[in-house]
Amino acid sequence: MTSVVSKSKENFYRQSKSKGDVVVTEEQLLKKEYVSPDDVLRLNKVTENYLCKPEENIYEIDFTRFKIRDMKTNTVLFEIAKPTDLRDCQESEEDVDPNAGRFVRYQFTPQFLRLKIVGATVEFTVGKRPVESFRMIEKHYFRDRLLKTFDFEFGFCIPYSRNTCEHIYEFPPLPEDLVNEMITSPFETRSDSFYFVDNKLIMHNKADYAYNGGL
Amino acid sequence: MVLLQILRKLKQKEKEVRILMLGLDNAGKTTIWKKFNGEDINTISPTLGFNIKSLDHNGFQLNIWDVGGQKSLRSYWRNYFESTDGLVWVVDSADKMRLEDCKSELHKLLQEERLSGATLLVFANKCDLPGALSAQEIKDALNLDEIKTHHWQIVWCSAMTGENLLDGIDWMITDIASRIFTLD
Repeated sequence: MTSVVSKSKENFYRQSKSKGDVVVTEEQLLKKEYVSPDDVLRLNKVTENYLCKPEENIYEIDFTRFKIRDMKTNTVLFEIAKPTDLRDCQESEEDVDPNAGRFVRYQFTPQFLRLKIVGATVEFTVGKRPVESFRMIEKHYFRDRLLKTFDFEFGFCIPYSRNTCEHIYEFPPLPEDLVNEMITSPFETRSDSFYFVDNKLIMHNKADYAYNGGL
Repeated sequence: MVLLQILRKLKQKEKEVRILMLGLDNAGKTTIWKKFNGEDINTISPTLGFNIKSLDHNGFQLNIWDVGGQKSLRSYWRNYFESTDGLVWVVDSADKMRLEDCKSELHKLLQEERLSGATLLVFANKCDLPGALSAQEIKDALNLDEIKTHHWQIVWCSAMTGENLLDGIDWMITDIASRIFTLD
């Protein structure tokens, strides 16, 4: 790592807080043959582009449900599920945007930022090939500020399986002025979800968030 | 969140604890897994893969894996053994016909090297159903007294009502915590 820093100082710099982690830019990653988990962990802002093509998902991994619930009141705040016959509809249409389905826009009320504990569920299906080592890394930002990173190793996925993962977490305590800025700046809270098989990026999804619903 | 209270025991002893729930199909694994967090249990279909709950608390993570129990899926179980701290074996106490099958699958698991360090909790589920065996009877039928290689405990429970679920998990977490502590 140290040698990399000294070679190209204009692109890399040392982050003061993390131990020896070197920030990498999106431009650098776009030049790589494939992107690794280490690469995206070193990104310090949301990407402008997708870092892989839809067709790199050779495992036919398909996200079929997203759900967010408030653990305190056990209320479902958001749920979107793909109808099971959607695939047939899509295939019959011409000019399908290859990036459709890679982006989700969430609109919440300010109350969302006051929640204490949240459960976020994803459901996905896997095609005919067994997946040896599946990992997801999700990074949430407000503007260029990293709010949260979720890094989870699913490991093996059974061929033709349907799997779910609910991540239950306490909201990071955010300063009041930051919360207010997030409410008044819709869609400047954004996230990148990176999915890897055998340490190679095979899917990249994006989302943005507004918290001014009902205002 | 009762689970989070139990989790506090593990604070600063271990960064990540992994619990694996296995058992024959229709034993009630997913119902138990959902009930832990007060989720709706009216719409559960056979698990054709895995379900994970990953709880983050004070920088500590508890991962509970529920893997489908159908015969065609059991050969994949071994892919989920690595780093398991606790094995929850769920038994349908009313399914007398398959107790022999249930016993042999459990004892096969106990010979797995990658599960050798795991605490074993047996949930005798559906004990409240008419005609179901008691936890004592399940213990005998599964030859649990023969197990010398693992810390184990059997607890009767009802996934439907939630009875005894937290007692069982509490025992398991305490056992895992004390084991980790002893190793320090």
